Amino acid sequence: MAEFTLDCMGEACPVPLMKCEKKMNELKVGDVLLVSIDHSCAMKNVPEWARTRGHNVEIEEVDDGEWEVIIEKTN
Amino acid sequence: MENNNSSLSGRARAPRKPKKSQIPYAILVTILILGLGLYLSSLGAKLPAYLIFGVAFGYVLQRSRFCFTAALRDPWITGSTSLTRAALIAFGLAAIGFTAIKYNSVLSGADQTLAMEGVAPIGLPLMLGGVLFGIGMVISGGCASGTLMRVGEGFTMQVLSLAFFVIGSLWGAHDMTFWNRFNENAPKIFLPDIFGWFGGVVVQAGIIVLLYIAALKWQEKKMGSME
Amino acid sequence: MNEFFKKLGNQPIYKRLMKEPLTYVGGAVLLALFNIAHFGLFESGWGVSSALANWGAWIYQSFGGDVSSWSYFASEKAQQTLANGFWMDGGSIRNVGIILGALVCTLYASQFKIKKIKAVRQVVAAILGGLLMGYGARMAHGCNIGALFTAISSMSLSGWVFAIFLMAGAFIGSKLLAKYFM
Repeated sequence: MAEFTLDCMGEACPVPLMKCEKKMNELKVGDVLLVSIDHSCAMKNVPEWARTRGHNVEIEEVDDGEWEVIIEKTN
Repeated sequence: MENNNSSLSGRARAPRKPKKSQIPYAILVTILILGLGLYLSSLGAKLPAYLIFGVAFGYVLQRSRFCFTAALRDPWITGSTSLTRAALIAFGLAAIGFTAIKYNSVLSGADQTLAMEGVAPIGLPLMLGGVLFGIGMVISGGCASGTLMRVGEGFTMQVLSLAFFVIGSLWGAHDMTFWNRFNENAPKIFLPDIFGWFGGVVVQAGIIVLLYIAALKWQEKKMGSME
Repeated sequence: MNEFFKKLGNQPIYKRLMKEPLTYVGGAVLLALFNIAHFGLFESGWGVSSALANWGAWIYQSFGGDVSSWSYFASEKAQQTLANGFWMDGGSIRNVGIILGALVCTLYASQFKIKKIKAVRQVVAAILGGLLMGYGARMAHGCNIGALFTAISSMSLSGWVFAIFLMAGAFIGSKLLAKYFM
């Protein structure tokens, strides 16, 4: 149960999504990834991608136009 | 604002700096838009309507994060086709309305009908332009409408890409003398001209349904889920 | 005052209407609806990029250039549009509207933030991407709106052909992005 972070601040689509996908492959089941993003589209497509993949996802608005997406790897 | 522990990460968060509401600025911009509309109405009757449509498109694009770039790109990157399918729905619905308006203009018997409005030649420039545009929109992170929308959201990167979009357009317009040679024999194909009005709608609907099914299958294959 | 607006911003109904994103399908339906209304009112569908070529021409002319000899701007209509200026050009106004509309939505959601460029690769991507899009859009007589969305809505086969080549371009772009811009 390790916790990882991924900084995607200032990255435009689809870079956050691609980085996320890459990072998730390195994680073990049960690990948690915290992705920080400030791209309003990534705030929708990253969680959507993770849900489709079957992971547990939470989004939190950290600041004006900044979000943290928390993904727990389940498979 | 809230200081809750995230249930997934389970860690306590440091208190955040107090947030400032941006709603007053929103109201200011709203007044600015209304003022601009008022000014435009003094220049021409239809001009404020263009502004209203622009704001409406900007509103929908921003609020739904609808993105034509992602519709064409995500199938390659993650295998997700949710936006691709949404775009197909937009195409299908808009086609119904457009066709009705076009058919009405033909039935009304006017000399100048709307039938061929928006019908473009299929030639080499269309195909090459598509590839160039496709590469450009993926690496710059937004298509034409998406770039404008992101300028409004405060992306410096898209301000730069808009500036070079304008330069590229000028360059392209300059070279159109050359490219138009390839359009001389390029056919302009309006589907109802081939299949009839009803047949055209059926063919178009058929294409959309088939692509929708293909998009579902693609996502299932790439991501293991149709959701 | 700030307290009042903060409270309003956290009010559940306000949040639902102004903050939480609409679904993609919801967006698609609204875009289709507005494009149809646009066609009904102006007798031409929505487009974005041809106005951007006019912006280029105006800037070029302000530096003393002359585009009247270019075949692209040679038509009487194009000359008229250029002569009338920015605030008489519907396409330009509509593009300004898109920027303002997105800005005002982001502000109502209290999510506006100036996002600075972070790396040199982003500068290269923006310049290269912008140029390719601008040039490509002129070749194809439109962008993903005019030559794709509006063309397909207009029952023009060109829209579907454009879609195929856009997808091919998007594939190449994805590979380039993964290799050079990540």
